[in-house]
Amino acid sequence: MIDSVKSISHEEQLVITRVVARAGQLLQAYNAESRIIEHTTERLGLAFGLDSVEIALTSKAIILTSRFGDNCITTTRAMKAHGIDMGIVCEVQRICINAEKKIYNVEEVKQRLVNINVPKYNALMVAFFVALACASFSHLFGGDYIVFFATLVTSFIAMLIRQWLTQLHHNLLTVFFITAFTATFIGSFASAFNWGNEPELVMITSVLQLVPGFPLINAVSDMVKGHVTIGMARWMTATLLTLASTLGIVLAVQLGQYGGWL
Amino acid sequence: MSAFMSNVGGISEVLLMMLDDAFFAGFAALGFALLFNVPRQALLACVLFGASAHAIRALLLHVGVPIEWASFIAATLLGLATVPWSRKVVIPRIVVTVAAVIPMIPGVYAYNTMTDLMALHHQGYSQALLQSVVENGLLTIFVLIGLSFGLAIAPVLIYRDKPII
Repeated sequence: MIDSVKSISHEEQLVITRVVARAGQLLQAYNAESRIIEHTTERLGLAFGLDSVEIALTSKAIILTSRFGDNCITTTRAMKAHGIDMGIVCEVQRICINAEKKIYNVEEVKQRLVNINVPKYNALMVAFFVALACASFSHLFGGDYIVFFATLVTSFIAMLIRQWLTQLHHNLLTVFFITAFTATFIGSFASAFNWGNEPELVMITSVLQLVPGFPLINAVSDMVKGHVTIGMARWMTATLLTLASTLGIVLAVQLGQYGGWL
Repeated sequence: MSAFMSNVGGISEVLLMMLDDAFFAGFAALGFALLFNVPRQALLACVLFGASAHAIRALLLHVGVPIEWASFIAATLLGLATVPWSRKVVIPRIVVTVAAVIPMIPGVYAYNTMTDLMALHHQGYSQALLQSVVENGLLTIFVLIGLSFGLAIAPVLIYRDKPII
């Protein structure tokens, strides 16, 4: 015990607290589960010799208090949503484990968290594979190969539009609305020309890329593990995203009906 | 004998169905893994876990298990299987579990609920529409709860209060 007792000055504690808050902020911004945020910040703080790190999570901010002896420091970080990026979550977790193993010191961890950089996949490749995922859904729902290729093309175009709108930093709801509208509008022509065994599958499955699976799963896992308020916020976000895409679908279907091809 | 033969034929048919299911579910999981920017060394795991979980669920559905229980069992097995993997490669479980579970998410039911809800407002009340809203909505919620409870079984019941990695 004696050798592990190391005194931390107030300035050192400030630096450590900032580093821990940065880690928590990154995890929250890139959609990690609340339990991971709690555990990672606590372990990082303990690894640097603090007595405890307590964290309060809200849907738009994290508040954390670090304690060493009688000295407490509390800090708040607002959350800037960045969408889902598991690469960053992995990297933060890896940095935390390396800090626990004493491979990185505070300064190194700080540098690595500030300049965090995770390679992204090529956008066209992502669009193609997401389209392939939607086409696979159409097969799982019983569509033949004509439906498969029609879905592939439709959702590829929709995915390109989605990437373009995301790049322009539009509101996520707008992005989902416009993408769902385009996918359904293009897909409705498969029904108009009666392609494949079940033409309406093209419309249905090419919008499946917009199902907010991540917030939905996170919502229930958070609620199961006791973070009920955050879970509710995530559930509501997911419901709104579904509503936005449904509005797009309904608009496109009604347009098709007025136009007379549906 | 003939009953036995027809039984074998049934089994090979089921195996073929599961293989087909696993193949396409694997592609679906891969697409979403790339969308979530899952690191390269976890991609194959996403595909394999997603494919096998979906195939297990297809088998359970084929046997006649209700969809919410089938999803729960598939997600539980997926959650337990990812624990040793996650420890070995030191990557948090959530990185693979969500992408692997995505093919099982009841997206079509969720959209049906919402479109029928809008039709209920647009066309006025009708028994059939309300029935569709309630049935699709309940199915969506129960399948989702089954999936996330299943994923939570490993940390909540077995590895209590101990971090997995």
